[in-house]
Amino acid sequence: MNKSAETSEKKGAVLPIKTSIQDSIKDLLKNGIDHCVFDAVMIPLRVPAGDSFSYVLIKNKSLLNDAFPLPPTMSVQGAKAVSSVTRLGNRNMKIAAVMRPCEIRATIELTKLDQTDLENIILISMDCPGTMPILDMVNEPEKTMTLFNDATKSWDDTQMRPVCQICDKSSMVAGDLHIGTLGTDKKSFFIIPNSTKGKDILEKLKLPLTDSIDSWNKKVKENSEKKLKKRQEVHSDLKNKIGDLTNLLDIFSQCINCHNCMRVCPICSCRLCYFDSNKVKHSSEEYLQRAKDKGSIRILPDTTLFHMGRMMHMSLSCVSCGSCEDACPMSIPVAQIFSMVADETQRLFDYVAGRCLEEPLPLRTYKEDELHEVEDVHG
Amino acid sequence: MKKDDIFLPKILTFLCNWCSYAGADLAGTSRLQYPASILPVRVMCSSRVDPLLILRAFLNGFDGVLVTGCHLGDCHYQEGNYYTRRRFVMLKKVFDSLGLESDRLRLSWVSAAEGQKYAKVATEFTQKIRELGENSSKNKIFL
Amino acid sequence: MANALKITKNTEESVREFLKILLEKRKVKGVFTLKKIGKNGAVTYSLITKSDELNDAVPFYPLMPTNAGKLLSRITRNGSTTEPVAVIVKPCELRAFIELVKREQGHFENLYIISSTCGGVYPLKTATDGTIEKNLSDYWDAVKKGEINQDLRPACTACTEFTPYGADITVDLIGNTELEKKCFLLLNTKKGEELVQDMKGELVDRDFDKEKLKKFYAKREKAKNQFFNENTKINGLDDLIKIFGRCIGCHGCSKVCPICYCTLCMFDSSNLEYKPSKYESEVRQRGGLKIPPGTIYYHLGRLTHVGISCVGCGSCEDVCPVNIPLTLIFKKVGESMQQIFEYIPGKNITEKIPLVTYNEEEYTEIEG
Repeated sequence: MNKSAETSEKKGAVLPIKTSIQDSIKDLLKNGIDHCVFDAVMIPLRVPAGDSFSYVLIKNKSLLNDAFPLPPTMSVQGAKAVSSVTRLGNRNMKIAAVMRPCEIRATIELTKLDQTDLENIILISMDCPGTMPILDMVNEPEKTMTLFNDATKSWDDTQMRPVCQICDKSSMVAGDLHIGTLGTDKKSFFIIPNSTKGKDILEKLKLPLTDSIDSWNKKVKENSEKKLKKRQEVHSDLKNKIGDLTNLLDIFSQCINCHNCMRVCPICSCRLCYFDSNKVKHSSEEYLQRAKDKGSIRILPDTTLFHMGRMMHMSLSCVSCGSCEDACPMSIPVAQIFSMVADETQRLFDYVAGRCLEEPLPLRTYKEDELHEVEDVHG
Repeated sequence: MKKDDIFLPKILTFLCNWCSYAGADLAGTSRLQYPASILPVRVMCSSRVDPLLILRAFLNGFDGVLVTGCHLGDCHYQEGNYYTRRRFVMLKKVFDSLGLESDRLRLSWVSAAEGQKYAKVATEFTQKIRELGENSSKNKIFL
Repeated sequence: MANALKITKNTEESVREFLKILLEKRKVKGVFTLKKIGKNGAVTYSLITKSDELNDAVPFYPLMPTNAGKLLSRITRNGSTTEPVAVIVKPCELRAFIELVKREQGHFENLYIISSTCGGVYPLKTATDGTIEKNLSDYWDAVKKGEINQDLRPACTACTEFTPYGADITVDLIGNTELEKKCFLLLNTKKGEELVQDMKGELVDRDFDKEKLKKFYAKREKAKNQFFNENTKINGLDDLIKIFGRCIGCHGCSKVCPICYCTLCMFDSSNLEYKPSKYESEVRQRGGLKIPPGTIYYHLGRLTHVGISCVGCGSCEDVCPVNIPLTLIFKKVGESMQQIFEYIPGKNITEKIPLVTYNEEEYTEIEG
């Protein structure tokens, strides 16, 4: 996987769209199973009640007919699903995992954290118009489907989650294959390989590479520049809004400590979070003493410590997927805050979470001559 | 119907080490006939069978789950099977309340001397499960 | 004999003042109650030691940010408080705490328990969108009249256990038509009587308006039956898949459940992690498998683990990001489990949890 995705010689195969893009992707996957390029596909399926989607590991090709390569909502972050299947290794089953770019990026981060085994996984991403709030689908499934369908055509993100509206990496190619729908003539789509694995697959499927994906490149660049501008604006507004500790405490004051945000976060992969462990459970004396010191403490205390602690732990790998915000029962804009912090911390190390598998996690590497500005300069 | 077509259920059977396992053994050494549907799991006491194990077996597609233990009052650990009984009553209630087939679960006291009873329970339960048919959880995707 | 303290003032105001005096007279060293914090006025449980801080206390606010039983367990799980603390909790929170004490997750000593008859709480989202503040006057009107409020948590609408068990002091709310003018603290225990000694107010002879409570009970029972019956469509695995299919696996329901106290839930442990070979065989058998698997197992497993002690507080449903009707399932199945053993969770501290006790002659029909 190439670090400088923008500048490398991007080539891709061009495939015709028969009935719809979703069907064409499914045909491609079936083709892959037929040619033994992979044994199984991990892809979202609509659940029996029709009110959500769920990743399903499929071996039976006929099940693919019901698949939704790009569903309107994200119920489980794909990286979590890949990790669930491969955390203990995966030797015998070659799996094509079809996910959104942010899910692929999280998968790559989880691989660096030793939580997945990508050896037999083929990561397939596609241009993502954004994700709608998970509750939209629960409350009004059909309307949500229609709205999302329209949005995929018009590339209009007003119905999407706030954090998707400011996503500048919605076409970032980080996996093995990427399906490009932007900048096409609507009758065809691009398949862009991004690794030797990806190239091999296209060869096996006899899909020749052409040079004609400039239109995709152009459109993607345009799109991400526009989004980046918006992202910076939103982040700077948010930063001004928070401004100091009191405001930060206020934002988290509604938090009920359910830790849903942590539980759905693809990066938070600890089996037992430090903030759920006995280390943060104190004696009654301690709680009383703390209350006496301040006159009053909230029970549970340390809500903001939890959020900031989580930030310390995962912000360098945060892919701004928005799962945390979707899962928050108190509508705290967790994802927006985290994405703001993540952008800043990642910038420190010129790191983009999930951009490239070979890039080491910033805290697991160092240069001798760097970051002198944080050092004390006595004398 | 050909003989091969008869549905042979899979029944997970927990046998307590001290009584029921010996009972099952006796059934074997006495050459009593009972269906091959039983998959035995030996446990030290029927009370070691967490209701979750039963639930798990059910969701994993076992057609029936049989829990066996010493007769009441005969428990090697004095009172284990009294707890087993309460848990079993409770689990059955959960199944009934949710419309799951609680008939796929059975509790039986089989002593070390009751080879006959063991064979009878195994045969009867297998017959019962045959009537119920396959456990539909076997083919469910969204579990 | 006097068995109540009458304070001639608005009830919430009276209780607030009562708590202040408790702190000032050093009868207690801390007060655990709901309090508004921050600019947004978020309501959270707080441990208060300075009487000034009680100005923002809202002891009977119709919201349950977290089940207080869980929080009291957090404070006292390693031993009782060394100094006396007054705690103001709702009846189901008290019952949850009692269940936790039975599980050795909390200690009662040194706590003065103040509870009230409870009109129910609103869903958490009403606190974030501000509707709760608008509803408050309607809420208290209904409580005074002994009516069921609109838009409560479904669990509360269907709650018949609105009178606390085992509180030292019970504040008379439901059916008390003079809430704004008079406050009655009913003294249930010696501890309660001790607490009100030398306090402002007048010791009087007073009990609940039993007739009114009976009527209220009937209304709640009707609502409960309606709630249970309207939703009796859970019939078998397919229905469970329909209900739980949208579960995102956050396990928030177990995290907020007052009874789920395990530091590491079995369903988060490595015991339940599928090995590669397991995935392969499952996918072969079923043709496909939901990833991550085990959703139904998790919910039914949790149900068998905690159903017997479920107090029906509704926290699980409220925290669910995809609105799974957990209250319905847990309350309904939980109550049916509890009925087998004629057990009301949290009613009596000395009564054992049904699964850790037995009678020799019982349920003989189950064996076959």
